[in-house]
Amino acid sequence: MRRLLDLIRRVAGMPNYAGYVDHLRRCHPDRTIPSEREFFADYLAARYGDGPTRCC
Amino acid sequence: MQTLLWLLISLIGAAAWGVLALHRGETISAAWLVLAAVGTYLVAYRFYGRFLATRVLRIDPNRATPAERLSNGRDFVPTSRGVLFGHHFAAIAGAGPLVGPVLAMQFGYLPGILWIVFGVVLGGAVQDFVILFASMRRDGKSLGQMAKEEIGPVTGLAAMVAVLAIMIILLSVLALVVVNALRDSPWGLFTIACTIPIALLMGWWMKVWRPGRTLEASAAGIVLLLAALVAGRYVAEHPMLGPALTLSGTSIAWWMIAYGFVASVLPVWMLLCPRDYLSTFMKIGTIVLLAVGILIVLPPLKMPALTRFIDGTGPVFAGKLFPFAFITIACGAISGFHALVASGTTPKMLRRETDAPLIGYGGMLMESFVAVMALCAAAVLDPGVYFAINAPLGVLGADLQTAATTIRGWGFAVTPEQMQGLATSVGEQSLLARTGGAPSLAVGMAQIFSGAFGAGLTALWYHFAIMFEALFILTTVDTGTRVGRFMLQELAGHVWRPLGRTSWYPSIILTSALVVAGWGYFLLQGVVDPLGGINTLWPLFGISNQLLAAVALCVGTTVLIKSGRGRYAWTTLAPLAWLLAVTLSAGWIKIFSPEPRLGFLAHARQTLEQVAAGTMNPVRGARLVFNDRLDAAVAAAFMAVVLLVVVSSVRVWLDVYRGRIPAHTMEAPVVQTAFAS
Repeated sequence: MRRLLDLIRRVAGMPNYAGYVDHLRRCHPDRTIPSEREFFADYLAARYGDGPTRCC
Repeated sequence: MQTLLWLLISLIGAAAWGVLALHRGETISAAWLVLAAVGTYLVAYRFYGRFLATRVLRIDPNRATPAERLSNGRDFVPTSRGVLFGHHFAAIAGAGPLVGPVLAMQFGYLPGILWIVFGVVLGGAVQDFVILFASMRRDGKSLGQMAKEEIGPVTGLAAMVAVLAIMIILLSVLALVVVNALRDSPWGLFTIACTIPIALLMGWWMKVWRPGRTLEASAAGIVLLLAALVAGRYVAEHPMLGPALTLSGTSIAWWMIAYGFVASVLPVWMLLCPRDYLSTFMKIGTIVLLAVGILIVLPPLKMPALTRFIDGTGPVFAGKLFPFAFITIACGAISGFHALVASGTTPKMLRRETDAPLIGYGGMLMESFVAVMALCAAAVLDPGVYFAINAPLGVLGADLQTAATTIRGWGFAVTPEQMQGLATSVGEQSLLARTGGAPSLAVGMAQIFSGAFGAGLTALWYHFAIMFEALFILTTVDTGTRVGRFMLQELAGHVWRPLGRTSWYPSIILTSALVVAGWGYFLLQGVVDPLGGINTLWPLFGISNQLLAAVALCVGTTVLIKSGRGRYAWTTLAPLAWLLAVTLSAGWIKIFSPEPRLGFLAHARQTLEQVAAGTMNPVRGARLVFNDRLDAAVAAAFMAVVLLVVVSSVRVWLDVYRGRIPAHTMEAPVVQTAFAS
């Protein structure tokens, strides 16, 4: 069930906070970990920053 | 064993094409269309897709992708191929593949199915794949950046301006499709209006109330949306609310313009992002539902394989089979817009280079399959009903009786009672002259759904289909307006620095207003156009989208030639040549045809004559003439930009062949992947 929900989330391009925290701990242990709110704001900026995300 | 399997698939596909070819003039099942298409896709993916991957592009299974090298957990994220396939498909599939095949049905189903299936296999999927590959090898660079680096700075700028202009035309035509589906339809309008408060609630849910709980908020949103759909019937029947929500095309157009502006100015979490999620889920869900429905019902095709309108006298849009069938169906066969997504988010998420064929080539085949399903849904309608819904009032006549006589004159049977009964059964006052493709597609989908999942709910299914189309068209309108705003800000930033700051409110408001004014102008002209607007705007959109595809194929060819793959350049040159032939001749005809129905300038001349003869109000005449000339200028500008890109590309190609410039591209360095198994 968890995996199914995760699959749906990723197909829709939803943010994955746990995955990001995981990535930071593994690859960049020196960086501070953002709060879920900060991460969500960053995610929105990256996703709707520039370039079309949707076609006709 | 493998060989036997592929032989079998090829034989089934070939047999299905055989059935389509031999049963002309008889009613056949939609199953043959689906079989022919799927058989061709499988064979093309297995053989041509693999040829492109191994011989032409030389995919390297050991080379690390940008997602691996630049992994940042946010936009550069190695993503498994199944997930990325779904993600990429949700990004490229929109209203285009649904509407185009429905409009092109005026020629019959055969031209549509042939162009959709063979166009995608040799053109559209090749374009998406090559651009995805090129961007993947360049750290996810955009089409514009690649045009600038590989061809030249002027070409890069031209590509940027072209994308902005195409965006404006695209937004206006899609908005027009929604306006035509929702005018005088309180049920539809109520459901769509409800998506705004629902999205605001979702935004508040996942940003303020329970940060990051996007899935939870989306589930609540979908439940509320379906509740609004059911409630719409009672609202429409309510003695006060019903008439209050029965709006004319012009008022709905103004509401949409206001909505587009607000959505572009507001922070994305409030409206844009939640709507995006809602429409993604509805899109994937409904497309799966439609596929299942078609497979259960296997409806007979009532439209003929070819109609008499291939001679150019068709009521839905003017122009002959060549070139107009090939620009009317853009998305589904080949769509330049995909090059923007294939050089945007997707290349930053590929986990392995070997995933690129499935995502790039396979993703586009899937979109083409959506177009085939839309074609089936339109072909199950009676031809008379199809023309009654899709021909404009100016051609049909103002009432059911006249319209039925006009359509009988074309050789298709339809009665006023039949049209009235159909309208009542789907919960509308009238279905006459609902141009734009969405209503007739919804009628076809409602027939299929009620055949597959229980009759008696036809009205609900119809409004479900309308809601589904309008929902994701509006998502394209709001994200498109915002992206247009960013592009305009980038261009304006060259003129005056502060305008380029994407978070400076005066600039945000000014550029948003300019973008909205651009598409809003074309939208309003389309709404009041006596010939239905779709007549003018859809060909303009088709031409612009195909010309963008030509730009993408120029970039693709340049990348192939400069990276020492020149002997395979025919893979992109062949579709490029075809697209140039189609779009340049269509553009030329739209501007210069002496027929007023077809040529913008001829229509302007005719209008001036009518004003001079006193048969037309001079103010209205002047406006029509201005619009005709504007449309002609837009078409000419598109053609000029593309010729510029083609000429400068050809010069680069020749320089490489003559050895004047080295065959050298800007690929990112080779790093071994850690994902190789």
